[in-house]
Amino acid sequence: MDMMIEQPYLPVPANSFLKFCETAQKIAETRGSKTKTRIFADYLTQLNDEKDIELASQFLGEGAFSRISGRRASIGHRTASVAAAAFCEIDYEMVFKPCRTALGSASETMEKLMFNIPEASAKRRPRPFSLKEIEEEFTKLEQARKRGEKEKLLLETWGHLTALEIKFYYKVLGQGTLRIGFETKSIINSIAEAFGKELEQVRYAHMITGNLGKAALLSKRDELYKAEFKMFQPLSFMLALPLENVAGVNLNEYIAEEKFDGMRCQIHINENKVALYSRDLNEITHMFPELVDVFLRKKLKNTVLDGEICVYKNDTIQPFLNLQKRMGLKKPSKAILQDYPVIFISYDVLYINVAPVFSLKVPERRELLEALCAEHQIAITNQFDPLDERYLEERFKQALVHGNEGLMLKKIDSTYEYGHRGKSWLKVKKPGGSIDTVIMYATAGSGKRGGTYSDFTLGINVKDDERYEEEFIPIGKAYGGYTDAELKQLNQEIRPLVVERFGPTLSLKPGIVVEIEFDGIQVNKRTKAGYTLRLPRFKAIRWDLSPNDANTLEDVEKIYQLKLDEYREEQDGSGSFRV
Amino acid sequence: MLELKKYGRQGLKLPRLDIGLDLSGPFASHVFISHGHADHVPRDRRMTVYATAPTAAIMKARGFTGDVITLPFYEKLELPTAKVQFFPAGHILGSAMTYIQSDYGNVLYTGDYCNPPSPATEGFELPESVDYLITEATFNLPIYKWLSHEYLFKQLQSFAREALNEDHTPVFLCYNLGKAQEVMHALSPLGLPVQVHNGGITLSAIYEQYGVDLGNYETYRQDTVHKGILITPASTLENSMVQNIRRKKTAYVSGWASRESCRAQLNVDALIPLSDHIDFFSLIDLCKELNPKHVFITHTPNAEVVRYYLTNAGIASTDLHQEDGYDD
Repeated sequence: MDMMIEQPYLPVPANSFLKFCETAQKIAETRGSKTKTRIFADYLTQLNDEKDIELASQFLGEGAFSRISGRRASIGHRTASVAAAAFCEIDYEMVFKPCRTALGSASETMEKLMFNIPEASAKRRPRPFSLKEIEEEFTKLEQARKRGEKEKLLLETWGHLTALEIKFYYKVLGQGTLRIGFETKSIINSIAEAFGKELEQVRYAHMITGNLGKAALLSKRDELYKAEFKMFQPLSFMLALPLENVAGVNLNEYIAEEKFDGMRCQIHINENKVALYSRDLNEITHMFPELVDVFLRKKLKNTVLDGEICVYKNDTIQPFLNLQKRMGLKKPSKAILQDYPVIFISYDVLYINVAPVFSLKVPERRELLEALCAEHQIAITNQFDPLDERYLEERFKQALVHGNEGLMLKKIDSTYEYGHRGKSWLKVKKPGGSIDTVIMYATAGSGKRGGTYSDFTLGINVKDDERYEEEFIPIGKAYGGYTDAELKQLNQEIRPLVVERFGPTLSLKPGIVVEIEFDGIQVNKRTKAGYTLRLPRFKAIRWDLSPNDANTLEDVEKIYQLKLDEYREEQDGSGSFRV
Repeated sequence: MLELKKYGRQGLKLPRLDIGLDLSGPFASHVFISHGHADHVPRDRRMTVYATAPTAAIMKARGFTGDVITLPFYEKLELPTAKVQFFPAGHILGSAMTYIQSDYGNVLYTGDYCNPPSPATEGFELPESVDYLITEATFNLPIYKWLSHEYLFKQLQSFAREALNEDHTPVFLCYNLGKAQEVMHALSPLGLPVQVHNGGITLSAIYEQYGVDLGNYETYRQDTVHKGILITPASTLENSMVQNIRRKKTAYVSGWASRESCRAQLNVDALIPLSDHIDFFSLIDLCKELNPKHVFITHTPNAEVVRYYLTNAGIASTDLHQEDGYDD
């Protein structure tokens, strides 16, 4: 909906938050990435002030605060929604919630209600907020400790914003993408276009600084050459494209190694400090104190490695299920450290001594890494030439015997493409397994899928299970793996099965059988089944099966036990990795 | 309290008066049809029903073979049990609200309606006193509030003009009966050639017969479609008819277009939230204005928020959909 109809003041200053929001809305309403890129580039060139350029890029791509700052306004969805309902003088439970359910988006609900409800419009006296003033508001929200204070700040600010601004104010606060079909990559394109810079240079500056605002700023100042890598500031990870099989891949162009079922980790090391970062660039150092000790003792000069953390015991890589015991702990206990010891297995190097090396090709980086690992006794993957499909198939099986997930293929002629998922790295994984389940609940999705039932709770059969009174109990929730056409059909087929409706969720009679693929099964005592599936997704909708054909809880238990008991070959240096 | 019975998906019956409203089948002696949309016209195509003359013409054009006794707007029909009148509903051409005066009180059945009325209709008018209001509530939440027809018509026009200036064919995706003609009417001042999906042509002729200006239009033709504007239902978006137009800009025209999620779901260039249903706020205001003894709500999957607002206004209400459970 064209909400630019609220124009409380004219002209709208270029550096105002309203102009930013109008630009973001225009980008959302535009199809075609070229046009979107041009819109944002044009907008950037209208901004003269450096701080405004930095903030506009940051708000659009990263949120209220730059991603690497680690800062957060920390406002719960509920707190903000309850405050919005209060501002509109409507009941949160009776009115706001059903609206949000219908739209699938809290920010859009705020925009609509703030615009539509006379009590809310009457209270709003929009005035031009500059981007800098909005940043100040975000900072006040961050610093407010109590929920009540945060609420008060929100109510105050809303009183000076248009409905469109209120929507984007909330979206920007959410940290991350604004969901307007315009992601980091496109923003970088816009920055390059706006300031007439080489795309590669801007991309590089972004990778090094980890910060869209900085990349824009350096572009504006013509100082991209100053983009410098800083230790203890994580780089975006290079990601691998999943493959079903290697048919069609020119294996000559790749080298291969085993793919671990662990936790991806970037480790920054020098003589005094060690920091570990997870794939989403959060610091996880506290979870693995023994790795900190090990790497501190090595007395390395500034070094950054990319690799995987796995539980490793009796010379054997342990199942991911065991690594989970280490995740999310503030500080692991002695017992946990003893029962689930971990190892860091390196497979790439991003920085050595004084210089970043991610623009080197795979063999050159590998050479540096091998030398480093040999000198300092660091675990390193064993690489091999994939030769041909038959050989690769053998190595794939062997990787599974080692307890790993499959294989990685890395293009020899490629640099470390930070933050990018492309064909330079390929992963071939064995699916954890699949089971036939029954759809028990359907929940309306949010964002792009607003108003469509897209999340499905899946049940397994416990009809003949003494432990349960029910016929079916939930085993997991899947919201992907189906095609648009399948989703449409599902939305039609569930209608006659509806038993009850609570909020965005429909309770369904057992009727539709779905074959679910998953990466693994884990014990979860808090669920009815006692197990949950890792990454469940639709494999096929089995219109040919009836609910009675669904797998039973006993089947799931069997699969789990088989996985735990699976033979895992010991590592002797010639296996998955060597030290 | 008024006795009211639901039949099938859309049909209602006032048993004590033997009157049916948008009812299909032999369940009432006198059946009144609110308008020509398929979900209100009897599935039983050979019944005898009452309707306005334009509605009768639309029904016939769409294959209704029974007898339609035409009843002009405002004219009182005297039945043994009641007096019945049609009031203009502002939804599509011929759309009527049925007003029934009897010993049991005055009943108004809205059918689908829109206030302020669509400019391509006979307008909107309410009877003076209503004891029982039976209303639709398609747009059942305060997220739905329509912009003025004037504003939206300008939006339709500038979308068409801008697309043509950039050498693109403007394609308006809208329902064949009602919305299509409303869009044609909105575009008529531009004087540009318009092509219409086959299913909308006879219906458009009926609109013109009743004096609605639809501008310069013809049936869709593959060889010349790119030269003007195309109006076609959203269901044809993936068909060759739309796909074959190489340079085009698409706009989805519907009340549902007020939702951002439409953008990704339909993959169109523009969303134009022009609705021919009453919005949430007008609905609540209308109930307050009429202040009936009781409001019955139909045609909505969820009437809870409407009922909540009515209760706060001191108006008793019933959700007819809830009562019968989900049957659609």
